[in-house]
Amino acid sequence: MNRTLIRRSLLVLAIVLASAFAIVRSPVRLGLDLRGGASLIVRVKMDDVPPVQRREVVEQTRQILDRRINAYGLSEAPVQPYGNRGNELLVQLPGVSDPSRIKNLLQSRAVLEWYSAEEGPYASTGDAMARHGGLLPYNRILLPTRPAADGRRAWYLLHGQPIIRGTDLRGASVSAGTMEQPVTTFTLSQDAARRFERYTQAHIGQRSAIVLDEEILSLPVIEDVIRDSGQIRGARTLQEAQDLAVNLRSGALPAAIEVAQERIVEASLGADSIRHGLQAGAVGLTAVVATMLLYYRWAGANATLALVLNGVLLTAALACFGAVLTLPGIAGVVLTIGMAVDSNVLIFERIREELRAGKPAATALAAGFSKAFATLVDTHVTTVVSCAFLFFFGTPAVKGFAATLVIGLITNLFTSVFVSRVAFDWEMSRRRPVAELSIG
Amino acid sequence: MELFRDTRFDFLGRKWWFILPSLILTLAGLVSLLVNGGPRYSIDFLGGAVMDVRWEGVPPIERIRAAVSSRLTGVSVVAAHDLTGSNEVLVSAEAPAQEDLTALRQTIDEALSTVNPRYSIRSFETIGPQIGADLRRQALLATGGASGGMLLYLAWRFRTVYGVAAVVAMAHDAFITVGLFSLLHQEVSLTVVAAILTLIGYSMNDTIVVFDRIRENRRACGREPLAETINRSINQTLSRTILTSGLTLLTALALFLFGGSVLHGFSLVLVIGIIVGTFSSIFIASPILLAWEQGRAERSARRVALPEGGVR
Repeated sequence: MNRTLIRRSLLVLAIVLASAFAIVRSPVRLGLDLRGGASLIVRVKMDDVPPVQRREVVEQTRQILDRRINAYGLSEAPVQPYGNRGNELLVQLPGVSDPSRIKNLLQSRAVLEWYSAEEGPYASTGDAMARHGGLLPYNRILLPTRPAADGRRAWYLLHGQPIIRGTDLRGASVSAGTMEQPVTTFTLSQDAARRFERYTQAHIGQRSAIVLDEEILSLPVIEDVIRDSGQIRGARTLQEAQDLAVNLRSGALPAAIEVAQERIVEASLGADSIRHGLQAGAVGLTAVVATMLLYYRWAGANATLALVLNGVLLTAALACFGAVLTLPGIAGVVLTIGMAVDSNVLIFERIREELRAGKPAATALAAGFSKAFATLVDTHVTTVVSCAFLFFFGTPAVKGFAATLVIGLITNLFTSVFVSRVAFDWEMSRRRPVAELSIG
Repeated sequence: MELFRDTRFDFLGRKWWFILPSLILTLAGLVSLLVNGGPRYSIDFLGGAVMDVRWEGVPPIERIRAAVSSRLTGVSVVAAHDLTGSNEVLVSAEAPAQEDLTALRQTIDEALSTVNPRYSIRSFETIGPQIGADLRRQALLATGGASGGMLLYLAWRFRTVYGVAAVVAMAHDAFITVGLFSLLHQEVSLTVVAAILTLIGYSMNDTIVVFDRIRENRRACGREPLAETINRSINQTLSRTILTSGLTLLTALALFLFGGSVLHGFSLVLVIGIIVGTFSSIFIASPILLAWEQGRAERSARRVALPEGGVR
């Protein structure tokens, strides 16, 4: 028995064991298209943002959205930058099948301001302007209330300088008020509390306006001195009040955002896709293995061994890199099977040719492997080159496909050239004197 | 077992038998693309919404289409056929302008419930027009870049003409596939683009195996006329070509038949591409190589002949 052969066999065994360990320790995670869920691409509107601040604004937005989603216990994958436009973010929500509530939660800027209300209500902006001779008084702003049930709004003239802002808040929660009118309670930071106290003391009996995203939520009359906490009414439902609290806690968005793409997959469809993928894989694999065994006999068993090992190594590599398996990724796996089969066929045909040319088995084996290897390098490198372009220019789905394929190609070179050779060598070493190879 | 032992087919001599059908297919695809004004892009590239709906019982496609069309534009309604026998329908509608994408789900939902309220939504997707345009650009960039990269690699490993021949064969496969998709009224979606990229890699792989052998044989016996070397190389690799293509085709067919609606377009491209790609390595890439080399030989022969014949 050859010592090199034993060393190589041990190496193969070690790698297989390590792979098995890796798979058991951290199973491959499934993408949203396989387990169900919603993924959104949101775009930060950059019209009003100066170019130098854009990166910062996007990063701030990302963190705030992350906090908002976290408040729902949904965030497994953090909000990520998406694409190369620079102002898009990818939000993934596993298990969510109707994201309309979350979309509203994400899309509202949650800029909260508390103004003192001076005049109103007016039926329209025109009305208010007419009252002041077509020109708003200095340092005053005109804002509408939220539309009532009949869609009508009222307009109020407010003092241009807010008393407190969203950034003055320390916390917010829904208080157990009456169910008919849900109440969001907020607490103020020390500094703001002092300011608010002074203001409320001086303005008892006057009307103020709580403004959220340029809409007046409510117009409370200051009844008493308020120190460090206040209440916001005007939310239509309890859910809305809760969402408002979440948004006030996680902070206001520095710029408006819009949903540019939305993708929802029901968990049942994902489960079907997995089942179909497995079915197709099983059918394909069975057909391939049967043909190989029929055509190459014992060598076909070597090829099958290489094929199965390739599958194990590929899975282990995906598990190690923490890759997320998506549908295109499965397609990449299927293609890897095809490439693996090709490698084996290429090598075996070469060995047969060498045998036909009258070379003894051991020489034919060595020549077959080394000649086929040159071809394999070319085919594999070419595919890796094209995968590199897919990876850099492709969409996330195509990226997943390319990454899986490249990993598959690397493990395939190892299994079809190295492992398969070791298997052949074992076979040769068992038969003495070396007579012939069982290669169909 | 051995199917192709020591074959001696004259592939290059009969190349027109195969180039002709390929030309017909290319032309048919081209005509179809011209008539239809380009490939049928899916909502992925146009912007809009796609809804995957599971119907109870056989879905009345025409009625669904009518109901959705009365509310939205650019509507396409297709049943997803496969062996698993699910009654699934893909409803899609364009929204090229910057519209409110949120309302689309409700609108489609309403339209469907007028036909039959017994269905369930399995997936829903909206794509803003800007994202769609981005994707189209990305797809073109990725394809162009991948082709260029492979050409450079082959030009470096072999010679420029090998790279050119391989890339022409590959472009031929991709074009025929897109043409066939247009003829079959299939949509080009993102997954289809991924599949075309796969097929490009596959076709390349096939061509390289043949070219590799040609190079090897040229080195071993450079005196032989090129046509004979090419023929011999194709014959030598024939058994590998048939076996590999056959087995990969089996895998792709399994994916096509059992892979479910989501992978339908993907596997269809692979099935077409593997067949076309196998033929193109033999009947497109190799003849180009031969024609180029013969053209070069003639040019250099003329250059040698000129000084004598050129004296007046």
